Amino acid sequence: MWGVLAMPNPAAQSLQTDMPRMPDGKPNLTGLWQTFGSAHWDILDHSASEGHFFELGAMGAFPAGQGIVVGNEIPYLPEALAQKEANFQNRLEDDPMLKCFMPGVPRTTYMPFPFQIVQGTDQILIAYEFATSNRIVRVDNDTLSPVDSWMGWSNAEWEGDTLVVDVTGFNGQAWFDHMGNYASNQLHVVERYTMMSPNHIEYEATLEDPTIFSEPWTIQLPLYRRIENNAKLLEFKCVEFTEEKLYGHLRRVEDDEDQE
Amino acid sequence: MKCLSIKSFALPALILVLLSASTAAAQNYTVGRTPWGDPDLQGVFTSDDMINVRTERPEEFGDRPFLTEEEYNARIEQNERNIASRTEEFAGDNPRITINPPGHWLEWGDELSRQTSLVVDPPNGRVPEVTPEAEARTQAYNALVRGDADSWENFSPYIRCITRGVTGSIFPVIYGNGTRIVQGPGYVGIQYEMVHEARIIPIVDGEHVGGDIKMWMGDAVGRWEGDTLVVETRNLSDRTGVTVNGGGTRHSENLHVVERFTRVGPDTINYEATFTDPGTWEGSWTAAFPIKQKPGYEVYEYACHEGNHAMFNSLSGSRAQEAAGGAQ
Repeated sequence: MWGVLAMPNPAAQSLQTDMPRMPDGKPNLTGLWQTFGSAHWDILDHSASEGHFFELGAMGAFPAGQGIVVGNEIPYLPEALAQKEANFQNRLEDDPMLKCFMPGVPRTTYMPFPFQIVQGTDQILIAYEFATSNRIVRVDNDTLSPVDSWMGWSNAEWEGDTLVVDVTGFNGQAWFDHMGNYASNQLHVVERYTMMSPNHIEYEATLEDPTIFSEPWTIQLPLYRRIENNAKLLEFKCVEFTEEKLYGHLRRVEDDEDQE
Repeated sequence: MKCLSIKSFALPALILVLLSASTAAAQNYTVGRTPWGDPDLQGVFTSDDMINVRTERPEEFGDRPFLTEEEYNARIEQNERNIASRTEEFAGDNPRITINPPGHWLEWGDELSRQTSLVVDPPNGRVPEVTPEAEARTQAYNALVRGDADSWENFSPYIRCITRGVTGSIFPVIYGNGTRIVQGPGYVGIQYEMVHEARIIPIVDGEHVGGDIKMWMGDAVGRWEGDTLVVETRNLSDRTGVTVNGGGTRHSENLHVVERFTRVGPDTINYEATFTDPGTWEGSWTAAFPIKQKPGYEVYEYACHEGNHAMFNSLSGSRAQEAAGGAQ
């Protein structure tokens, strides 16, 4: 196997000897990963609750979840908190995820779908099943974001065995969950991917946006490897599942004359 | 896309003779290796140089795969005229406004191809005869997407920003022709610029996913044959075509695509795709063309669906026409 070459890197501090590693000794994050839990609905602690549509019964209800925010509190500035409340009130209309828009970082990580990491030497491709969103992480090649985007602009470097990804260049339109938690295009995310065992990565992200938050705050959750022998990234091109919601009011309605 | 500032006008002196250059390069060039020993295909490539080449060969060329010197010079001159008129339009006092993308959005090649068609097999450069069932499938589709804008379903999957399909994403079009290849141990990832596609190709002896799983981009399995990456794709839906932008004949769910990526020089990969689907074509056929790295060509996020104002505008425009009594 590629990844299990004996590690030549003396700086590697891991106790794990079966950690998958690249030929240069860096952890090899290549694989299919997924989070568990309901952070995509609510990144804070939350009880189970009824869903939006009674027709879906238990299937449409939201499970309880322990939050992924360290300290379970988001330090909103007052005006930003008001906007967050407005987002919540309008979430059936405004949550970008419901429209199959790219979820941005970090929400894309904890969507209830797998994602594939392909780790090259100077660039890493992360392909997410939801909405075919994806991003390129540039390693040791610090470049300025040339344009704002949904998924941001990712530069990375290794700190020992931790891949530290610095993400800027957001367009400010993505949310963090269905509760309306959000940031502006000034958002700066620093993600840390630390492989703790062959099959799990500790994921941490620090979020900073001086126009929305009074101080930086952090989320933490594990990424689990999909270990089924046949596990593969499949396809969830959700555009066609949202078109009735987005454009339904513009569909042609047969009038009486047409029916005659 | 290409940055406007680095766009250069085609200079005949710089034009390379595509195929002969590639052949020479193939003989003298050894593809590099990734640290884990695979042929290194990584980079950002574009099919811009093929924009002027039709998918099927015009019949007057017969079995001739390449242009004569005279024909090639005519292609270069035509390209230069196109560039000049677009630049003029962009810079002029009275830019021409149409419903089409403005001229300065468009990309063009700077080392134009001598190929007479993208299809290289059969030898006449034309797609084999379409079966009656595929003809019916395609006519039904065309009737749907060429009708009135009653709903979003009257538009192609590309216009709806769903996909251009697995090979429609690499065939040359007016812009957005970027292909980025990233390799990791045991995997090749391909990012297509338009509609932000990302394809994951495991390098395994494995089988495809179960037959009940159908996907717009199919299920890909890769292997190395010498220094060539061979990708087999199955499990395709029957809702796209295989040529530019996913257009053309609607194939069946039994389509089998075999693609070959061979790096023949530092900046060039020869791409080849063979299509087999007995329910659609009377025989297999192959398209082939190079994709190239160009200075300054980068793939940025293409948020197609997120910015699909055209869908709102087309549908609301049609409803407004109806309200005004201007449409059936």
